[in-house]
Amino acid sequence: MATATATTATDSAMKEPFTKYTEYLNNLNDKRERVVKASRDITMNSKKVIFQVHRMSKYNKVEVLEKAEKDLAAVTNQYVSRLVKELQGTDFWKLRRAYSPGIQEYVEAATFCSFCKSGTLLKLDEINNTLLPLSDPSLQPLQINILDYLLGVLNIHLQLADLTGELMRLAIGRISDGELEFAEKICSFARDIYRELTLVVPHMDDSSDMKTKMDVMLQSVMKIENACFGVHVRGSEYIPLLGSNDPNSFLVGIPDIEL
Amino acid sequence: MASSDFSSLPAPSLEKQFGEFRTHLEQSGTLRDRIRTVVSEIESTTRLMYASVLLVHHSRPTPELLEKAKTQIDVLKEKYKQLADILGGCPGQYYRYHGDWKSETQTVVSVLTFMHWLETGKLLEHKEAEEKLGLNGPEEFSLDVEDYLVGVCFMSNELPRYVVNQVTAGDYDCPRKVLKFLTELHAAFRMLNLRNDFLRKKFDGMKYDLRKVEEVYYDVKIRGLTPNGESIADKGTERQS
Repeated sequence: MATATATTATDSAMKEPFTKYTEYLNNLNDKRERVVKASRDITMNSKKVIFQVHRMSKYNKVEVLEKAEKDLAAVTNQYVSRLVKELQGTDFWKLRRAYSPGIQEYVEAATFCSFCKSGTLLKLDEINNTLLPLSDPSLQPLQINILDYLLGVLNIHLQLADLTGELMRLAIGRISDGELEFAEKICSFARDIYRELTLVVPHMDDSSDMKTKMDVMLQSVMKIENACFGVHVRGSEYIPLLGSNDPNSFLVGIPDIEL
Repeated sequence: MASSDFSSLPAPSLEKQFGEFRTHLEQSGTLRDRIRTVVSEIESTTRLMYASVLLVHHSRPTPELLEKAKTQIDVLKEKYKQLADILGGCPGQYYRYHGDWKSETQTVVSVLTFMHWLETGKLLEHKEAEEKLGLNGPEEFSLDVEDYLVGVCFMSNELPRYVVNQVTAGDYDCPRKVLKFLTELHAAFRMLNLRNDFLRKKFDGMKYDLRKVEEVYYDVKIRGLTPNGESIADKGTERQS
């Protein structure tokens, strides 16, 4: 008797629609799982790119950045492309939480790399253009949204602070102007971004979370500024002594600064 | 010796890029405000409907109160059309703003499914719910399946109270019907592979509704208050499932 009722329960009119819901949920969860995995791989490998950029110094800048760019391209082609295949139509926003950490890290790596190379902020359009060839032309391409881009740019500050810390150590230790010049460049870049973000952040979707991130960023900016201050005050005694126009200026394309 | 580069103004390209971001984000903020206005109207309409439906606990005749609640469905339909129109301007972004109508829509589903059950004794399917809200068109704006399922879980929370009050009012057959329905519903939900999320939590709560209804049914049966012998035999099997 008991089994008879159990079958009536599943044989009921509810069975058919619930089979559909099951299928829907299964597909969605599988897809989410794949997206999370792709995102994790992107995070891991983007971190490696960031570490690679940190190995840069005045003397090996070109090779280090070349390798970093190559690694970044590998991340794009291997892992980001996997993500691109999964996300179609409304998935892009529906599964954002699943892939957002990876994309943020990727933006961080790409912008960090590009800043060290050219001294400017890599634009959202520029990143998105590199993603275009990954997807089938018939499909909707993956485009990083503003929110993830801004979150990635927010995190670049931590990298910049680390980098200035390192540069300051080098600058004080070796009394060479290349590092100093680059550090000042970083400082003004970091300030600019902080200033621009103060206008944008209040409009972002999860602005309360962003506010705490902005506080962290301000700490980084101040850390960079203090480092510049330290070198400026103490370093001024040494720099005139050096007095040379170092042809190996740390930043390619930046004219040597008059000292 | 100060470097001129150091104190320079922000690069114009940076300024421009962030200016664009600001415009974009301001626009989506405006859109969100528009959505919220409509959603708050949906919420108040649902509250009206719910208040009408709640009269079942006061033992008011069901058809009459359903009639009253149903008049609001068209209002809801209109509101959802407005939402769909607002979202129509930004394809692919349903889930960007989903959080703004999610919980309200779950409540809408719970009221609609409850009304449908009171009327027919059946579960309102996802597709039927979409039809009722006018969301069955080709537009991207549809009823999210998970929202629908959460709404159904909310509706199940309503049943224990309904059973208690119906028995108090003298309808001794009601627990049997409700128990049968809820057992089926619970069995159907067990077909789903749920993640550890909100829906899962709500589904876990459903078993307490089931137990409460079983208790009421037991109380009625043990005292021989069931209407006739035939249904007692019928129910005996259901108790065990």
